[in-house]
Parts: sequence; structure tokens; C-alpha cells
Amino acid sequence: MFWQIFTFELKYRIKRPATYIYFFIFLLIAFLSAASGSTPATEKVFHNSPYVIAEGNVLFSMIMMLVCSAIMGVPLYRDIEHNTKNYYLTYPISKAGYFWGRYLGSFIFVALIGTSISIGLFLGAVIGPIFGWVPAERIGANYLINYVYPYFTLALPNLFLASSIFFGLVAFFKNVKVIYTGSILLFIAYLLSNFLTRDIDNKDLVKILDAFSVNTFNLETRFYTPTEKNTLLVPIKGLFLINKLLWSGLGLLILLITYFTFSFERFFSSNQSKKQAKETDNNSSYFGAKFPEINISFGSNYYGRIMLNLSKIEFLNIVRDNYFKAILLGAIIFLGVDFWIGITTYGVSALPLTVNLMQYKNFDYVLFIFIIIIFYTGEAIHREKASGFGLINDALPTPDWVLYGSKLLGLTGLALLLATFPMVMGVIIQIAKGYFDFNFPVYLKELYLISFPQYMQIVFLSFAVHIFVNNKFAGHAVGLLIWIVMFLLRSFGEMNYNLFFYSYYPTYQWSDMDGINSSVKGIFWFNLYWIMFGAFLMTLAALFFNRGVPSGSKERWKMAKQRFKGFVPYAMGLFLIGFIATGVYTYYNVSVLNNYLTADETRFRQAVYEKKLKKYENIAQPKISDIKVSIDVFPETRTTRTNAKLSLINKSDLPIKDLHLNGNSLDSFTIKYNGLEVKNISYPLVHKRGKFNFFKSKLDTTNYRIYHLSKPLMPKDSAVLEVYSVNTNKGFTNEQSGTDILLNGTFFKGGLPTFGYDSQFELESDEKRKKFDLPKKDDDLPSYNDKKGLSDLLFNKDADLVAMDITVSTIKGQTAIAPGKMVKTWEDNGRVYSQFIQNAPKVDLFFDVVSAKYEELKGNQKLPNGQNVALELYYQNGHDKNLNRFMAAYKDGLDYYSKSYGNYQFSQLRLLEFPKYRTFAQSFPNTVSYSEAFGYTADFKPADFDYVYFVTAHELAHQWWGHQVVPSRTKGANLISEALAEYTALILCEKKYGRDNMKRFLKQELDGYLSGRANEAKKENLFIDCNRPYQWYQKGALILYGLRDLIGEQELNTALKEFNQQWAYKENPPFASSHDLYSAIDKHVPDSLKYYMVDTWKKLTLYENRVLDVKVEPTKTKGFNKITLKVFTRKMYADSKGNEKPASIMNDYIDIGVFAADTKDKEGRNITKPLYLKKHKLKAGEHTITLTVKGDVDKVGIDPYVKLIDRIPDDNIKTI
Amino acid sequence: MKLSIKSLSKTYPNGVKALQEISLEIGTGMFGLLGPNGAGKSSLMRTLATLQEADSGSVFLDDVNVLKDKEFVRRNLGYLPQDFGVYPKIKAEQMLDHIAQLKGISNAKERKETVNYLLEKVNLNSHKGKNLGTYSGGMKQRFGIAQALLGNPKLIIVDEPTAGLDPAERNRFYNLLSQIGENTIVILSTHIVEDVRTLCSDFAIICQGELMYKGNPEEAIELVEGKIYNKSINKAEVLLYKEKYNLISTQLKSGALNVRIVSDTNPGDGFINSPATLEDVYFYKISQKTDVVTL
Repeated sequence: MFWQIFTFELKYRIKRPATYIYFFIFLLIAFLSAASGSTPATEKVFHNSPYVIAEGNVLFSMIMMLVCSAIMGVPLYRDIEHNTKNYYLTYPISKAGYFWGRYLGSFIFVALIGTSISIGLFLGAVIGPIFGWVPAERIGANYLINYVYPYFTLALPNLFLASSIFFGLVAFFKNVKVIYTGSILLFIAYLLSNFLTRDIDNKDLVKILDAFSVNTFNLETRFYTPTEKNTLLVPIKGLFLINKLLWSGLGLLILLITYFTFSFERFFSSNQSKKQAKETDNNSSYFGAKFPEINISFGSNYYGRIMLNLSKIEFLNIVRDNYFKAILLGAIIFLGVDFWIGITTYGVSALPLTVNLMQYKNFDYVLFIFIIIIFYTGEAIHREKASGFGLINDALPTPDWVLYGSKLLGLTGLALLLATFPMVMGVIIQIAKGYFDFNFPVYLKELYLISFPQYMQIVFLSFAVHIFVNNKFAGHAVGLLIWIVMFLLRSFGEMNYNLFFYSYYPTYQWSDMDGINSSVKGIFWFNLYWIMFGAFLMTLAALFFNRGVPSGSKERWKMAKQRFKGFVPYAMGLFLIGFIATGVYTYYNVSVLNNYLTADETRFRQAVYEKKLKKYENIAQPKISDIKVSIDVFPETRTTRTNAKLSLINKSDLPIKDLHLNGNSLDSFTIKYNGLEVKNISYPLVHKRGKFNFFKSKLDTTNYRIYHLSKPLMPKDSAVLEVYSVNTNKGFTNEQSGTDILLNGTFFKGGLPTFGYDSQFELESDEKRKKFDLPKKDDDLPSYNDKKGLSDLLFNKDADLVAMDITVSTIKGQTAIAPGKMVKTWEDNGRVYSQFIQNAPKVDLFFDVVSAKYEELKGNQKLPNGQNVALELYYQNGHDKNLNRFMAAYKDGLDYYSKSYGNYQFSQLRLLEFPKYRTFAQSFPNTVSYSEAFGYTADFKPADFDYVYFVTAHELAHQWWGHQVVPSRTKGANLISEALAEYTALILCEKKYGRDNMKRFLKQELDGYLSGRANEAKKENLFIDCNRPYQWYQKGALILYGLRDLIGEQELNTALKEFNQQWAYKENPPFASSHDLYSAIDKHVPDSLKYYMVDTWKKLTLYENRVLDVKVEPTKTKGFNKITLKVFTRKMYADSKGNEKPASIMNDYIDIGVFAADTKDKEGRNITKPLYLKKHKLKAGEHTITLTVKGDVDKVGIDPYVKLIDRIPDDNIKTI
Repeated sequence: MKLSIKSLSKTYPNGVKALQEISLEIGTGMFGLLGPNGAGKSSLMRTLATLQEADSGSVFLDDVNVLKDKEFVRRNLGYLPQDFGVYPKIKAEQMLDHIAQLKGISNAKERKETVNYLLEKVNLNSHKGKNLGTYSGGMKQRFGIAQALLGNPKLIIVDEPTAGLDPAERNRFYNLLSQIGENTIVILSTHIVEDVRTLCSDFAIICQGELMYKGNPEEAIELVEGKIYNKSINKAEVLLYKEKYNLISTQLKSGALNVRIVSDTNPGDGFINSPATLEDVYFYKISQKTDVVTL
């Protein structure tokens, strides 16, 4: 019995074109991603590495959930749908045969379709390099096991789970629509685990909870180095294994429960029979009675009313649908959770500002909206036809426009409803969090002027597609395909010209400081453009609106022609003209006023820049010794004018004949040299105009200019260079741009051209470089002993230390500030001017200008040496919740740093808020600019990591590390600035909040370092040669913190103070390099610990520490416990590619700790209670350590604070 | 009032000629459409009901062009398709009220009266408060009839309206139609030839898209009156008879095959003259197009 049903099922499936379509779609996607090199592999990872194949399997098998629902939903439902149930039951079939035959007959195809991923990747890896679609060196050796293993361990379990769930749902609910809900629920489960991974502390939970183990896989492999990704089959063990067993077990359980509860009688019984109305006889009292009199009239606005009525019915039909309610509920739950938590920084949420919520709604909610709109637009259009009422309905007198209009209106109501939820939910969350500053203008503008039109655009497209395609499922497929194709073109095709992408417009953020001022024009015009197009589509679709039973395209054409009358041609013409006109205007802004370049063009230009100009990299150029500049900010027109007088000096040994000025970041600039215009200019870099910018001149002269001086600037000679530059934001651009000059919150870097060639603008990616025939590029900067490198400063090679005199002006109502001491402020012609001077000490040439409407908080700090420092915080009105944290960091930092490293060099210290379009903090001499999104509105709970304090302390530390000691422009030198600032901030933070509050931070630093090196696209440099943020921030903080633990804070501070004294305020080369810092510290490291300095600075060292076993026995003395601890330790050295080898000798200091149970202080912070914590000198291998401690033991560990770099820190501690 | 159909033709994209040069004049009263499955009856009715375009030809309701002025037609139309569905979660009463509104009965009280009247007429009064999803096939059909009659239509097109009705309901329906048909054009398609004879003043036979006959039932019977002969023969001989005579129907009864033929003269050969029925006319007409031997 089983066999017949099984083979029947196979035959049925094998004849379905869909089976092959599914297979080939996934085959094609997998093939293309490997063959064209579009897998997510970083540049040192093969596109067919075991890691990439496994990732493809896990990710695509989750997406294949859709295939599972399509295939596994049918086998049982088919009998209900086609009414075979009426006679199927009469056949002598067994339950087991029927159930398993149908299940396996279908599942086998799901399993086969699942192989398409591995097969596609394999074919891609073989064929891609043959045709040169992917560089041959990006494809590794092909081993069968690499393809088979992930299929069986990752893909198949996922397919099995989804298949069992869908099969079970249909068996239970006897309905296929339940599958949609099932898919949505699974999708929600996936989103949920995504959501949980945002928090670093939930990782173990997520590893188990992710039903499709997408996040489990990512978490397990996130520290894999390129070499490991290329060689390791991802082992299914530990939590990963538990996850797989749990979810596959659940799949099996569902299947078995379904089987045992399945009964033919229940499954095939009609849903309706029970409640069917009974025929009853009647008395024909009306027999022969006349028809009642009626009046029929279709008065003037009768149809208007009818349309409203009908649209109400349409709307209610949607919102009363149970599946709609289910999906909407999911959407709202996510909206609530996203609103509640939002973006966290170091695990800390922000206050529920309306501007934040309007950003969070796009995390998950918008996806649900998209699904709802696409799906229910189809339902609305096909409602009459699907219910069979269409023929009656279409013969009723209701005019086409009423039927059509009512559906559109009903969906408009839906879009409005969906646009309203974020406001309702937002206000609820704000109230729940005790935040009452509802910003209704932002709610209303965002939801009804931006989101609502966008939702309508989705409606328009779906609507039109469903009418043209005239088949519900094909309509959904075509509709979705359009969005998917657009998405793929944008993400893999690197296309982003928004005029060609339906419903796309520049991304934007709401800022409390600037609103959406920087983007509002672009959003408005693109939105209008697409609304016009959508409306045009709607009029076009109206012609083809299906009424009756047209028998083919010919007849539909005929009907369309009949309908092309009355106001229709006018509406159509109007929308078409509107579409073209807004398109023209948008094009004018994007491609005429501004210069749009594709990603490829940008790279091409980078390559040309390097090819043409690299030869100038090391030519001698003058240095700026003194600067007097006035910068005028015009917020209303988003324009700045810079007028600078620079004193130049030739510090080289060669005469300088040409002045190379690079004004790439400037709109326009002119100069005078020693008071005269230089007429003899050449433009060595000329580009072809951008592909899309037809109306610009054919050649695009860049702002790299060579001024040929009439008289060379001789060594030691000086000159005066006057620069006049203008920066402005004309119209709007394809993407958000010009966020440095704003209506409120300008944060502008000055408007000066740079001297000569800058390697920073070169193409980084070696793979891309190869395409343009450029050699491989390992490092930006020269080696630590390079003479030229040592003679330049890191942040600005155009000047050594300078005296600055900056005058800024802005409109009344705003405050404009630049670094330096404010000496004068005045008003002139309705504008406010202020002059800032910084000449003693001289500073590195690194300044910015801000202008905004600010609130101010002033303070003063008397330093231990008696010096007074004026503290000034400038902030946006309402952003005052965390000001005390900024202030505290400034005060504590000034005290501690000046005492430990040397005096503070200025008499003032400022903090300036700038809009959240950019998220960072940056330290200029005596002035720190700090992003709106980064702490001002953080919602700190007492136990949270106070990152505001930490980051402010970090930026303040740059006044010593960066501005007193300015690093040279050599490889690794940036650690002087960043690693020291990170370390000193960490110490300051620890002093304020205690060691326990640092644990989470250190864990995050370790995480950051390990994932940084795992995603390294080139090679991992030694710390002393560091060239990546994950090295100078995260690794720097960790190893310096570890060093302090070994040699003591005092000793390390002494070393740093000596280093500071040796290098601070140095006006002439050579400037400090990483090796200088190394030797300064190394002097203070005893011989017994030198290994640590070498391991951390000059080698890539990783520890494998773990607890193997712990035994705790009470001793005879009351309260004392004897602990027998078995630990394992090993030290590994990695090469730059991530190949690891055990260190041949190891005898290192490693903490062994015994802890009592954690307690909490009154603010809810965790407090660890060490009973024993000592460094043991350990060799590689297993050790048994016996200790006796006083107190009840809760946890025991090796390196319990994870001071050493350890890839799996979680196994360092064992809880009893 | 008169419906004039002139040279109406329609060919489907798959090549099927659904209507070929159909011309008909239909006045008030009941008009029957007879024809085998797939003859084009439904195509013709859907075209008249504005649900489908014709390739060529014209249709006028008095002086209104039916193919062009669809809205006018729809305002005066009652249509019951052969196969239709309902919204399962709506009550019959509500749904009829809704349709009445769409048909232009703007006064709520009048709507209620007319809906109740029709529900009574189709014997659904006791079920009017139930959801349509709970209706049996026959009840659903009666609901369909009720909605077609809403709003005093001048032109009623009902496609096999009695399918699924028991004999009593069928009679009730026919009585209702006749009552309305006095000053309305009612076009009705059916497979039950006898119904046409009892109900319709005029009728037409369509086969493979062609009009085979039009006229009134009495005249039609006269056409073959006295020319119908029948005989019981051996099953095996049927092809012989088919070749020799104008065979119009065959019926197997207790092992013997009863054949009917049309002949102007007495064929002898054991044939017995038999009184003509409308069914004979029907088979006689369609036998010119299709094979009527149903063995």
C-alpha cells in the first residue's frame, strides 16, 4: 500500500514543472554566487571553501522554507481541494500507507531540491574560473566532502524541520492558507533569534534557539580566520549539536504526533456538513403576490456613495481575515520589541525619542508591511473571482471605475492603517518608558508623508501586476520577483541609480538637531516621482481591469480600447507628464547639478588617480607653519566659504618648483601665492564624465592641480599661500550627501586643499586592484624607520605643529565654534563672528568648525597642579540627560591624565554635539565633537556600562595621545593615539565604576578583535605594525590592560609619562613611531615578563585556556574548602593568514581564580567575590592545581577575567 | 421591447468557434436556448450579459447597442450564471441587500421589502439569516435566482437555472419566471427539452456555435409531425441503420435498441410511426452536426 501511494506521489511530482523550477532557481543562485565571486567570502577566503559552502547551505535551506511550504502543503490537501476525498475513502488504503507514502513521496523532492545549493556552488567553482568570471586564486581545491557534509548536517535537517511543520499544519488544519501563517511564524522565529544576537550576552541562548541555526552557524564560526574558513568543516558539536538535535527532534516529534492523531474520518469529513442549513418547507403566502414597488435611480453622487461602501467592504474583508490578524500581530509584536530595545550601544538602549522610533520601525515592521500589502492586494483583486461570485458581480450595473476605485480605496485604507500603527505603538512605548516628549510633527511627517506614499507605491505595483498577470499565484510570483530583482541588482549588481529603481529614494535619518533637512528635498522629489509612476500604472491597469470572462489578450485589448475614453486619457496623460517632469527635475538634481558616479566608476577613478599620480607621492612639498583662516557658514543655503592665509616653509632639502594641491573634497577653490595668482597650472587628472551625467561636459577635470611656481621655493624659504574655497550643497543627490554642512548642526572640516598625493584614496581591495592592473597593496603607510614617514604627522602631513587663528561666522541664533581660545566675538551685518586663537602651545593642523543652535553648560576644573580649565558643553535642547556623565569624564580625566602623563596643554575643553548622520566622536585640540546618536540620549540603567563616560575619557585622552604626542605617518604609529587613548580611558572608567563593570566591555573588546581578524581581507599585522581599527582599539586595549595587570599601573604610567615627556610638542621630525613607544614601555618591563611584550606586540598570540574538571571538598577546618582543579592551557602563534602553531616553549603567568557567588550592589551592578586569585606560572598542557580557600565556592576558573586573548573564553570558568 | 442579435460571432484563442453568425430576434416572454454541452449557449448568454466581447456582429436592445453601452444593459439586467460562488460568511439577506443597492435601489425600506419578497418567492425566507456558506447546492441556486430578479430587470438571462433543483422547486421557479416574463425578456438555457415546450413562447437550438433552429415549440413539432418512426433493433445493426436512415436517437431498453428516425415517407422495414415530440426536433436538428448515436 505504501509503495503504490509513494510511487504515485513521485510520478505526480516528477511531472510538475514547479519541481524543476525550484531546483534550477536555487542551482542558478548558488552557481552564480560562486561563478561570479559574489559569495560573502572575504578576499583571503575561497568562494568554494568549506565555510562558504556550509554558509550557503544553511542560509538557502532556510529560504527553501518557501519550497517546503509549496511542496509539503499539497500532498494531503490535494485530496480536499479536488474533492477526491469523496471517493478516496472508499478505497482500501491504510493510514500508514497513505500518510507515509504521501509524506516521503514529497519529502524526497524537497531533499533533492536541497542538493541544488551544493551542486550549484560546485558547478560555479568549476566553471567560473574557466571563463574568468572569478579570479582563479579565489577558488580552492574541490573536495566532495566539503559539499556533502554541510548538506547532510545543515541543509537536510532544516528542510526536514520545515517540511514536517508544514505537512503537520495541513494535516491538522485541513487548509493551505495556514501555511502562510506557518511560514510567517517560522520567519518570526528567525527574526527573533537575529534580534537576540544583538546582545553579546545572549549568544548561548541564540545558538540553541535559532530553529534554522543560521545564527548558530554564524556565532560558531565568527572567529574563524581565513585559513580556517578555507580548511575546516564546521564541526557540529556542543551547543550546535544540541541545536540540531533539538530542532530535528522537534521536526520528528511533530511528524509523529501528526501521524498518530491523523485519522481519515476527521481529515476527510466535510467542514460544512455539521452546520449546514436544513431545508424546511414553507407556506407560499406570497404566491401570486405582486412585486413590491421600487424606485431605481443612479443619481449624481450615488456611485460615489456606492464606492465608499464597497471600499469599506474591501477594507473590512482584509482586516477581518484571521490570517491578516495573525501576521499583523507578529508585525506589532516586533514593532513593540524593536521600539523597546532599538539600537543598543554596549548593551545600552537609547531613550525612546520619536526620531529614534521612526528609524527602528524599519528594522522588522516594514518587512511585515511589505508581505501584508503584496499578499492582500492580490486577495482584493481576485476576491470575486476566487469566490466564484465574479460573474454575478461583473454583470451588476456598478461602473468599472467604482469597482476599481473601491478596491484601490480599500487598500489605501489598509496602507493608512499600517502607517498608523507605529505612531500608536510608539506613543504606548514612550509612555511605558516614562518618556513624554512625543514629537508628533515627526510622527506625522514620517508616517503620513513618507511611509504612507511608499506603502501606496507597493500597493500600486502589486495592483497593476495582478491585473496584468490575471492569476493570483503568478501575480504574487511576478510581483515578488520584481522586488527581488531590484534587490539583487542593487546589492550584487552594485546598481543604485534611484531613478531606475521603483519606490527607492535616498536613505535618511531623523535627527533632533537637523530633522531630515539634509535629505528632505531628495525624499520629496523621488517619492513624488514614484507616486506619479505608480498612478500612471494604475490608470494603465484600469484599462485592463478584468471584468467578466475575457477570453484572451485580444479581447482584453479590445476592452482596454473601449475604456480609453472620458477622463481616462487625461488622467493617464497627466500622470505620465507628472512622472516625466518630476523625473527630469530629479535627473537635473542628481546628474546635472551633482555628479553621480556608479560604484564601478568610483573605483575606476581611484585606480586612475593612483596610476596617474602615484609618482608624486614622495615629492617634496612645503609645510604649513602658521594658519589664519576665516570660515563663514551659511546654514540656510548649506554653504561655507573659507578664506585662508597659510604660511609655508620648505622643510626639505630640495627646491620646490611645483605646488600640488588636491581639492578633491572641495566644490571650488582658488589660490594666491605670495599675493599673486599663479597662471601656470596643469591638471594631471582628468576623468571621463559619469555614465549617467549626459549633460555634463565630456571630461571631468578634477581638483588636483599642479601650480608651477615662477620661482622655486628654496629649502628653508617660506611663502604665503592664500586659499579661497567654497563648499555648497546644490539641489539633492541620489543618496544622502553633504551631511557636513547643514541647516542646524554643521560640522565641517575647514575647506582647505591638501598637498600632493595621498595614498588613502587608493583602491584597497586587492581583487579590485587586480582588475585595474594595479599591484597588490599590503599597507598604506611606510615602515616605522622610513625617513619620509617619520618626518610627517599622521593626521595631517601638510603641516608640523602650527599656530592657528580661526575666525568663524554664522547666522544669528546659531553658535559657531572652532578649536582654540576664543579671543573675540562680534556681530556684523546680521551675522555672528568669533575668533579663536591657538598659538601656545602649537598644535597639529587638525580643526573643524561647527555651527548649530546650542544650549550650553559651563564648568571649571582646578587641576592638581593648580591650573584652571574652563569646561564647555554645547548640546541640543532636550539632550541634557547625560551631561553629568560627559562632565564627570572631563573632570576625572583631566585630573588623572595630567597627574599621570603630564600637564594639560590648554586652558579650555569643549564638547560639541553634531547630528547623528555621522556616528563617532572626534578629538580636536581642546575640542571634542561628539555625535548626537552616541550617548546624548542613551538610557542608562545603573548597572549599564557607561560608554558616554568611557568614550569621553577616550577623546579627552587624545589631548595627550594624539595632540601632545602626535604620531608620525608610519605603520603602526596610530597605536600611540588610539591604543593609548583606549587604555587610559579604560583605566579611568575602571577607577570610577570598579573592575566588575569592565567585564562586559572587555568581553566585547575581545569579541571585536577576534571577529576583526576573522574578517581580515588581507593579512593580520603584528600589533606593533597595526593598520586596522580592530588592532589599535580592541587589541590595544586588551594587551595594555593585561600588561598593567602584570607590571602594575604605576609602572606603566611611569613608562607612558616618560614617553610623553620625550615626544610631546615636538615641532620637528623625526616624530614618534610605534617602536618608540615599545621601547619606552619595555624599559619598565622586568625580564621575566618580556615574553608578554614580545607575544603581544611582535607576535600574534592566542591562548587556549579551559577548565577540565573541578572538585570541591570541605576540609576539616570549618568554612574552608579544598579545591582540586584540572585545567588545560596552550599558547598558539598565528601567522598573518591565521595559520596557528603551538608555541614551542611556554611558561606564562596565568590567573587561577576561585569565586564565591556573585552579589549585587545597591544599584544592581554585579559584584564578583574572588576567594582566591593568583597568577600561576604554567607550561602548556594539563595541570592539576590544589587549593584551599575560605568560603563557599561558586565558580572556579583559569584566566577567569579573560586577560589573555582566548578564542573560547566561555570555557575558562566552571560553575559548581 | 425587443432584443435583436445580428450575425454575432466569437472565436476563442484556442480556435473553438463558440458563436458563428448567430442572428436572433427575441421579444418579451420566455425564450429557451437548447443545445448540447459546449454548443455556445453560455458564450451567447455571457456576451448578452456584457461579460464577454464578441468578435463581430451586433446586439441591440430596442435601440441600445448592447455591446457598446454596457452600463445601460447592466442597469436593466438580471443574470444568473451557470456556475457561481458566494461569500461564505455573509447572510443571504445582507448579500441581497448589498446587490440591491448596487442595482440602484437606493431606498433602504424598499430594498428590504423587495429582498424579503424575493426570499419568500424562492423559498429561502426561513434561511435568510444564515450565512451563505451553510447553504446546500439547491439553496444556493435559489439564492442565485433571487439576486437575478432583483431590481426589476428588463432583460433576464438565466443559464441552466434549474440545475440542482428538486421538481417542486423547479416548478416554483418556472411559475415565478412566467409571472415576470409577461413584460420582460427572459432568456433561459436548459437541457430539459420538455421545459421549453411548456414554458417558452420561442426557442432556439444551437450546436457548435451555429443556430440550427429558431421558432416556437408548436411550429417546431409540426415540422416533424408524422415523420417520426421508431423500431426496436439488434444492437449490432445500429451502424447499418445509421447509414440507411436519418437516425435521430437511440435508446437501449432491456437488451434491445430502440431507434427513432425521421423520414418523409413510411420506411416500412418494421418501423412504426410515432407521435413527434420537441425532443425529436432537437435531436433532428443537432443530428445534422453531431453524432447522436449514444452507444
